Amino acid sequence: MDNIVIIAIILTMVVVLLMSGLYIHSVLFAAGIIGLIMLEGFNYLPGLLGNESFRRVASYTLTTIPLFVLMAQFILQAGIVRDVFYLVNKAARGRNSVLGILTLSIGGVLGAVSGSGTATSASLGQVAIPELRKHGYSGRLAGAIAASGGSLSGIIPPSIILILYGVATETPVGALFIGAIIPGIIVLLVFITVMLVFYQVEKKRSSQAELPDEEGQLEVHGNQQVNLLRLFVVSFAATMIMLVIFGGIYSGLFTPTEAGGVGAFVAFLAAVCLGKVNFQFLQQSLVETIKLTGMVMLIMIGAQIFGRFVSLSLLPRKLIDLLEPIMEQPAIVLILISLFLFVLFMFIEGAAVILMTIPVLLPIMNALQVDLLWFGVFVGIICTIGLITPPVGLSVYAVSGVSKIRSEAIFKVCMIFALSALAIVCGLMILFPEIATFLPSSMD
Amino acid sequence: GDSGDGETIELRAATGLSSQHAWWDATMVPWMDRVEELTDGQVQFETFTGGELVDVPDEAEATLDGTIDVGLILPIYEPDQYPMAEVTMLPLAHSDTLIATRAWNRLLTESMELQDGESYSDMQFSEFKIFPTSTTQEYSISTTGHSFETVDDVEGTSLRTPSRIHELYSEKTGINSVTMPAVEMFDALSRGSFEGSYYSIADWSGYGFQDLFEYTLTGINFGHFNAFIGMSDDRFDELPENVQEAMEQAAEEVLIPGGEEWLDRAEEMIDYNEDEGGEFVEFDTLDQSVQDHFNEGIEETWLEYAELLEDQGLPGTDLIILWRDLIIEEGGDVPEALKDIE
Amino acid sequence: MVAIEKAYHIFEKIKLIGVWISGISLFGMMLFIVIDVVLRNLFNSSISGGFEMVQNYFMTLTVFPALAYVYSSGVLPKMDLLIERFQDQVKKLIIFFMIALEVFILAIMFYFSLDYAINGFERSMSFPAAGTLYPIYPFLFLIPLAFFLIVIENMFILIKNIMFKEPSFLFKGDSTQDSGE
Ligand code: NA
Ligand code: NA
Repeated sequence: MDNIVIIAIILTMVVVLLMSGLYIHSVLFAAGIIGLIMLEGFNYLPGLLGNESFRRVASYTLTTIPLFVLMAQFILQAGIVRDVFYLVNKAARGRNSVLGILTLSIGGVLGAVSGSGTATSASLGQVAIPELRKHGYSGRLAGAIAASGGSLSGIIPPSIILILYGVATETPVGALFIGAIIPGIIVLLVFITVMLVFYQVEKKRSSQAELPDEEGQLEVHGNQQVNLLRLFVVSFAATMIMLVIFGGIYSGLFTPTEAGGVGAFVAFLAAVCLGKVNFQFLQQSLVETIKLTGMVMLIMIGAQIFGRFVSLSLLPRKLIDLLEPIMEQPAIVLILISLFLFVLFMFIEGAAVILMTIPVLLPIMNALQVDLLWFGVFVGIICTIGLITPPVGLSVYAVSGVSKIRSEAIFKVCMIFALSALAIVCGLMILFPEIATFLPSSMD
Repeated sequence: GDSGDGETIELRAATGLSSQHAWWDATMVPWMDRVEELTDGQVQFETFTGGELVDVPDEAEATLDGTIDVGLILPIYEPDQYPMAEVTMLPLAHSDTLIATRAWNRLLTESMELQDGESYSDMQFSEFKIFPTSTTQEYSISTTGHSFETVDDVEGTSLRTPSRIHELYSEKTGINSVTMPAVEMFDALSRGSFEGSYYSIADWSGYGFQDLFEYTLTGINFGHFNAFIGMSDDRFDELPENVQEAMEQAAEEVLIPGGEEWLDRAEEMIDYNEDEGGEFVEFDTLDQSVQDHFNEGIEETWLEYAELLEDQGLPGTDLIILWRDLIIEEGGDVPEALKDIE
Repeated sequence: MVAIEKAYHIFEKIKLIGVWISGISLFGMMLFIVIDVVLRNLFNSSISGGFEMVQNYFMTLTVFPALAYVYSSGVLPKMDLLIERFQDQVKKLIIFFMIALEVFILAIMFYFSLDYAINGFERSMSFPAAGTLYPIYPFLFLIPLAFFLIVIENMFILIKNIMFKEPSFLFKGDSTQDSGE
């Protein structure tokens, strides 16, 4: 059978299976395995499937997923974030929009200590969504805020995607990190703006439906009686955790990956100091973390197998062959490539996309004489956005997994976040490449 | 692909390394191009790099189980399967990429008996059809500024050790070894988590180390990483004779130019690094006691590696003698004490 | 149904053992990394082969033993907007089809990862760390075991759907999600 026909059948299958409600990981497994069988027959399966699960999971870099989630669990179960949100909310004097900005910004700050957008989204989802909802955010907007805030970790350095890109293209990882700072901040600003618009629209809609009840919500919270001493202790603990992680990474005591383990341990110590640690505390934190880790890993294994099918089908190369006639127009090629990547990142886990497209894209970038550092940051941005787009948006699934909010509902909001960021940030980067190249070149 | 005479033969070639890596870019790609040329397009390669299809170090297995037809095999990464592959990583008094490449080529292709009538390739790679590639440039010690003025400066220094041989060597010389994935290294080194690494200068650009290292010890050699282009014997035997011959001819043609690529890359890296203020220190300008300390470590590492192999029932001593002789015959050198082993 | 429920009860116990193993190794992984960092900074020497042990031992032990539990916990995401709109009978038909598909791919994954584990066992597959070889092959068997347990889980879900009118994705518990409005 012709590759094109197989590709068409498999992509149709992906859409149909997703719509009929098969688990996401199963869709990827099924499409990948059936695609491979159609392409190669059964003979190649042992080599392609046998070691995939082990190779995916046995990765030092991926320890960030369970360990940053564990850190979040410890912080959450110790009640630290709830109290911090309460504090901020008090300081904001009931201006609830501040909470959304805070969550997105915390996502950006956490991004500076975490390399994985998925892990950060899950953590944010656990701690922020209940608070956001208490303060008048709809579930889907709260979920979208947590998912997109967390996805920022994908681009704000350290970033696993940029590391993979640097390795694949032999671009210095340090320069990529520095180059990603300004675009990362612009993405954050776009997310904040979109969030504020959404919040206002929702507020208007709900005030038409029912009487605004912000006072009441505050009272409910006020009844929980947070006393001053506890607030002091909690803020102190939160600050200490942040200081240890940032200080440790930037002074070289440990690497960003090790920060996952250290962060979890410091959060654990904080919980001990707050007198929260008992059997139930440990059990809840560990089991919740394991559930989320298992979910992410299953999807990553599935994405890898599906990625193998896509590689072998030569789909990326075929698409890129189509670009040949317009190579004279670099800007158009770049816009097309970014749309193409955007679509791939919609369907496939980010690392897999990087791995399968770089060998094909690199010659084109070289032919167009595009700066590889700039392109790396550019791909990183699109990949980050891909974390919050359906049907495969790991950040959204992570948030949905921890909050039990439907992923479709979150995706609906996230698509607006994603499209705005895609248009504004990628547009700016094509018009003004200095956004990415200025900082690294001024450091030389 | 189909292997009938006259028909196009499609071969699937893969590496887990990046497409920019010298072995792929300067050896395997020219080899494939040459094979296509020599067979007038009868053979076509479909290529996958960067772990797109096969990850490092699964190339050997993928080649043998038929997932791919041709792989860039890195046997040093699998000491459990190919314990004798690390022999080229043994530290030397003198050699360069081309010396080591010629020695590695001879070790793989000449039928010098090692044990029970079997050669090195028979013992380690009997299931493969081997097309030797160049070795890497020699490994050096590079640090983010730490220098070696006295023996005390050597002992207690923390260096990342990329292979089992470097672990042995570090242990012998009192160097603390740090194990860490290569991708984490830039970050950890730039923030001072430890002092440096064993690494080949030509390979620096892979992780951006040309911007990082400030002190590099040259003129002492911490071994050469090796590789070969491999096919499964069965797959190779199915190919028509003219294709087999084309592959062998092409491999001979690309071997030395492939090695020269490492030299060019090293030169480029050294120029760049010197412009950035990096320092390259010749081993024989170091204090004599420091030189002796490094050299003693070399000797002990060879013997320990031989012993480690002997413990597994492998001809460790014969192997290191063979490697020593090949290196010396090709123009390299080992510390004096090693010349006496028989 | 009582017999089935009893059987499932035993099955749940087995899954819980997995959760314990995963939980302990997760906590252990955290401590191991912290100790490694402390040793490197205070005594200038890290645990020999530390990162290799973390990725090969701790990660596999953290992820695979609990996978069957994770599967039945209702945390795995899916797009269920469409199926919720169907009649129960259509829903059931879809569920049967999906279980069949799921069992098919899980069986394939079970078979090939078992094949890989046996192969690794025969070659006594090990990973090099700090000058030593550490065996990895016993851990490879955790993977087919995890897939096998998920196949069993699917069998229970199948039985439940055959025996009860109400269609259901999980044997136990509630998989309904918040609409997010
Ligand atoms: Na980050
Ligand atoms: Na996506």
